[in-house]
Amino acid sequence: MSKSLVCFSLALTLLFASNGKAAEKGFVSLFNGKDLSSWQFRGQPAGLRVEEGCIYSGGADGGDLLWTEKEYGNYILRLEWMLSGVGNSGVLIRCTPDSAWDSGFEVQLLAPWTPWRDDLHCTGSIYGYVAVTNRPDETTGRWHQLEVVCDRKQIIIAVNGETCTWADMDRVESLRGKHLRGRIGLQGNHSDPQQWLKFRNLRLRDLDLDPDYVIRGFRDTDPRIQRDTHGAAVKLGDTIVPRLCSLIAEEDSLPSAGARKALFEIAALASAPDAPKALRDKVVQALKDQAGSSGSETLRTYLGWLLGLLGA
Amino acid sequence: MDRKVSRRSFLHQASAGALGLTLLSRSRGAAAPSDRITVAHIGLGGMGRNHLSWFAAFPDVEIAALCDVDREHLEQAQTELKKLRPESRAQGYADFRKVLERQDIDVVTCATPDHWHSRIAMLAFEAGKDVYGEKPLSYCAAEGRAMLESQRRTKRIFQLGTQIHAGDNYHRVVELLRSGALGEIHTVRLWMTSRSPGLGFPANRNPPEALDWDMWLGPAPMVPYNPARCHFSYRYFLDYSGGVFQDFWCHIADIVFWALEPRGLKSIEARGEPPWDGIADAPGWIEVDYEFEGLKLHWTTVPPAVPGAEGKNLAAFFEGTEGTLLCTYDTREIRLGGQVLQDLDHVPKSIPRSPGHQRNFLDSVKSRSQPESNLEYVRQMTLPLHLGLISYRLRRKLAWDSANERFIGDPAADYLLSRPGRSPWNIG
Repeated sequence: MSKSLVCFSLALTLLFASNGKAAEKGFVSLFNGKDLSSWQFRGQPAGLRVEEGCIYSGGADGGDLLWTEKEYGNYILRLEWMLSGVGNSGVLIRCTPDSAWDSGFEVQLLAPWTPWRDDLHCTGSIYGYVAVTNRPDETTGRWHQLEVVCDRKQIIIAVNGETCTWADMDRVESLRGKHLRGRIGLQGNHSDPQQWLKFRNLRLRDLDLDPDYVIRGFRDTDPRIQRDTHGAAVKLGDTIVPRLCSLIAEEDSLPSAGARKALFEIAALASAPDAPKALRDKVVQALKDQAGSSGSETLRTYLGWLLGLLGA
Repeated sequence: MDRKVSRRSFLHQASAGALGLTLLSRSRGAAAPSDRITVAHIGLGGMGRNHLSWFAAFPDVEIAALCDVDREHLEQAQTELKKLRPESRAQGYADFRKVLERQDIDVVTCATPDHWHSRIAMLAFEAGKDVYGEKPLSYCAAEGRAMLESQRRTKRIFQLGTQIHAGDNYHRVVELLRSGALGEIHTVRLWMTSRSPGLGFPANRNPPEALDWDMWLGPAPMVPYNPARCHFSYRYFLDYSGGVFQDFWCHIADIVFWALEPRGLKSIEARGEPPWDGIADAPGWIEVDYEFEGLKLHWTTVPPAVPGAEGKNLAAFFEGTEGTLLCTYDTREIRLGGQVLQDLDHVPKSIPRSPGHQRNFLDSVKSRSQPESNLEYVRQMTLPLHLGLISYRLRRKLAWDSANERFIGDPAADYLLSRPGRSPWNIG
C-alpha cells in the first residue's frame, strides 16, 4: 500500500467514524453527560433530566424546551437520539426562545407515527417547511445520528450519515424571514407521558470561529449576513486581520467595504484604555505585518492610520 | 474713503496695513460700485446651484467666478447663471486656488462635500476673502479650531449656511427659552428619524471623464472611484462626512446652542450601527447622550417618548422645571400649566430678526461685524457632533475636558479629533 493510499484510507476512516470524537476536528461537546450546565429551561422542566449520561425526557406531557445558553449562527451540529415506541421530539435551530416558532425552525425527530406522517413532517424534515427527499430510518428503540449544517442560508440535514433535506432559505418562502442566528433547543417528549426520548453525544463545530469561513460572508449582499459576518470577524480579532486586509485591497467594493468596517472596529476595540495589553499588542503586530507586506499603497496608508489610532 | 477702491481690496489692504495699491472697480448694475460685492461660488452640485440662485437675486452682488471639479456641474451652473443674469461674464474654474488668486473677488461661497469645507475656507481667509460656507462647518474637530484661528488672524467674515437659523421661529424659540418661563431647562432631546442608507454594492469603475476624482477627494484618502462615494451620497461615508446625523445636527442642535449656550461638556456616549445593506459606513442609526454642565442633551433616531413627539421627523424637545417646548424648523408647542400653547404673549420680542441668511451675511461683509451663524458660534455648536461620532466609532463612552478640548485618558479618541490630509492638503 502506498503512503498516499494509507493517508486516504485514514481520512475515510476518520470521516465515517462519527462516534470517534478525536476524529472530529473543531467540534466541541455541548453536553457533559453529568448535568445541564450550559443549558437553560424555559417554563417547567416537565420530565427533562440527565440519566445514564443522556438527556432524558419522559413521564410527563412535556413538549418543553431545553435551550443552549449561547447563540450560534453558522455551525455543524451532531447528536444522537433514541425514541420510545411512539415518541415525538425535535431540535430547534436559530431560535429566540420568546418567539421560538417565528424566529427559527424545527428539525423533526419522530417515531413512525399513527397516523402516518408525510415527508414534510417526518424525521429529518424542517417541520412544516421543507420535506425530506430521502426518507430516513425512523425505527424506535435504537440510536440514530443527526447532523444539521447551518451554513448561512443553506441548511443541510443528514440522518445516519445520509443527507435527507437541503434548503436554501432564500428559496423557501416560509424560511425567508427566519433568523440567521439563535439558540439551539431540544424539545421534550410531547406525545404522551408513557413515551420517552434520549439525546447523547451532542457536539458542535462553530463555523464562526473559523476565519476562512467567516471571511466568505463579506461577499454576500444580504444585510443580515453582512451584519453577522462583521460580528464574527470582530470577535476573531487579530487572527482574521490578514484576511481582512486581502479583502480591503480587492478591487471589488463588496467584500472591501465590509472588511474595512470590521478592521476598523477590531482596532477601535483594541484601542480602548481598558483593553488588555496583550490584545492590543496582537492587533498591532497583525496590522504591522500587513503594512509591511501589502502591495497596495491605499491599504498601507490605511493601516498606517489605524496603527496611529493604536498609538503604534 | 476713495470711492474707486473696491470694497474687498480696501478692506484687505486696510487690515494688512498696506494701502499703497488701489484697484479700479468695474461699474455695473444698480448699486454703487463701492457697495457691490464680488462673489465666487465653489462647489456647484445641488446646494451650490442654490447658492448661485440666492446670491444672483441680490442687486449688489456680482458673480465673477464659478468653480467645480466636475465639468458637468460647472457647465450646468454656467447655463443657470446665463438665465439669471444674461449679462454675466463669470469665468469657470476647475481649481479653486485659481479663484482665490483673483484680487477682485470679495466673497467665496463653498458648497463642496464636507471634507473640503475647512481647507477652502481657510485658504480663502488667507487670500483675503469672506466666506459663506455650507454646513457642517468641518469634517473633524481640529479643523474647526484651525478655521477659527485662521479667521481671527485674517479678520474675515464667515457665515455657516444654516439658513433655518434665520427664520422667525428659531428667533422666537430663543426668546421663549431665555425668558425663564419654562423654568430651568435641564434636558434637551433631539431626533431625526431618517437613517443613513447603505447604498447597495455598486462596483468601482473609472471616474467620468468630466470629473477630477483626485481633486474631488482632496484631503481624503485615495480610493478607487465609486459613484456612490461621489456626488450627493458622499455624505454616507465616514471618509467624507457623518451621514444623516452630521447632515441634520447643524440645523436642529443650532436651536439648543443658540438658546442655552451649553458649556462644560463632560461626557459623550454613543450607540449605533452602520447600515449593512451597502458599502456606505456612516451610522445607519445613532443615539448619543451628552452631559453638559447642568444640561443633558440626547440625540436619537426614533422620536423620544415625550408629548407631541410622535410623527415628527426632526425636532427638539426642551424640558424645563416649569414646562416644556417642542420645536421643529417652523413650528413650536409649549406645554405649561396644563395648557398647550404656541406662544407666551408676555415674553417680549428682544432679538432682531434676520433679513434672510444670505442677506445677513452680505450686510456683515459690508459692516465688518460677524453675522448670526458666525464661526465662533457655529464651532461650539459643531464640536459635539464630531465628538459623538468618535464615541460611535470607538464604541465607548468618552470623558471630555472642555477647557482643553481633549478627551480624558483616551489617546485613541484624541487621535480621531483630527485627520491628516492627503498630500498636498495636509493643513489644518
